[in-house]
Amino acid sequence: MPSDPHEQAEELIPWYATGQLDAADRALVDAHLASCARCQRVLAGEQVLIGEFQAMSPEIDSGWAQLRGQIEARPPIRPGIRESLAEFWELLKRPVVAAIATAQVAFVAAAALLFQWISQPTYVALGSGQAPNSANVIVMFRPDARESDLRSAIAGSGGTFVGGPTEADAYLLHVPANGREAAIGKLQKNSQVTLAQPIDGPQ
Amino acid sequence: MILNGAARRPRTEANRSSVLEENELLARVRARDLHAFERLYRIYQPRLARFLFNLVQRPQLVEEVLNDTMMVVWDTAGNFRGGSKLSTWVFSIAYRKAMKAKMRWPDPVEEQPFDPRVSNDPGPDEELEHQRLHDALMKAMNELSADHRAVVDLTYFHGLGYREIAEIMHCPVDTVKTRMFHARRRLKQAMSGQMFDWI
Repeated sequence: MPSDPHEQAEELIPWYATGQLDAADRALVDAHLASCARCQRVLAGEQVLIGEFQAMSPEIDSGWAQLRGQIEARPPIRPGIRESLAEFWELLKRPVVAAIATAQVAFVAAAALLFQWISQPTYVALGSGQAPNSANVIVMFRPDARESDLRSAIAGSGGTFVGGPTEADAYLLHVPANGREAAIGKLQKNSQVTLAQPIDGPQ
Repeated sequence: MILNGAARRPRTEANRSSVLEENELLARVRARDLHAFERLYRIYQPRLARFLFNLVQRPQLVEEVLNDTMMVVWDTAGNFRGGSKLSTWVFSIAYRKAMKAKMRWPDPVEEQPFDPRVSNDPGPDEELEHQRLHDALMKAMNELSADHRAVVDLTYFHGLGYREIAEIMHCPVDTVKTRMFHARRRLKQAMSGQMFDWI
């Protein structure tokens, strides 16, 4: 900013003329204009110029039809996983939907118990149970990553999904011990991934 | 000071209600409401066309850049958090798009037969004088750099403050003031004899 009050005021005159100065700037210009005939002429000239500029308006054809065509020709943008979960939660909070959902969950749970009871073997061999894989990698994604990005990143690393998202929006994966470093390397190179780290120490 | 009252253009109720309407439209655009987007497009189209025409100086490029700008608005409406005015956000997208388009068309523009002035049906003498002033102004504007033209147009036509212009052009406020100062000097030189000594 110039130190000379005349230069300061002169610099601000265009915005003074269009009424776009804050109170402090306007007071500065007001004070200067009161005693500077040259700046008064400048201000008068600015107003002529503003009038000329505002009289100009190019008649560019509206391209709305073309833009609308572009939008409609594109596949719809899939919402991100956060938006999907948020929308689903909002839907679930509606009383009618919540009641139906609760009834359906109860029905599915009852059916699952019945199926398990019917299909239960009469004997169980030792070791026939499959222990769930334990998580050995934690991964976090960009906030705007889509569900398809998450799936392809996890599949591309050779890992399997174990849990998540956690409170911090992290996902837990299991990758084979002998391929873990390579899997983490692949995840870290993925542009949608913000963090990929082992969570049970080096193997 | 005689000119004080006339010089200021206070924010009116209409300004505030149009800002409210625009924000409501944007909320509907976020929900992929194409009718709301058309309305928003029609609000911004004249202003952006004018701004872009001054920047790219090619009528055939204006529609392309304008639609690219509005496509970004459609695609990223959810990213606008209201930290600035909606118009500042839209104009800053348009400015970036225009600068990219200019890189594809770096050659200086030849004289265009395009006449952007709206006729006010003046009398013959007044019309002649007006035409002379208009021609000198257009010629003077064409001789400015794109950044100088942008600052002049955003100030005089769009009525934006220097802080908002700095936000749109991603530069310090002092750069805006300096550009405006030099642009006015260049305009004065180019229009010498057309207007009284205004700077």
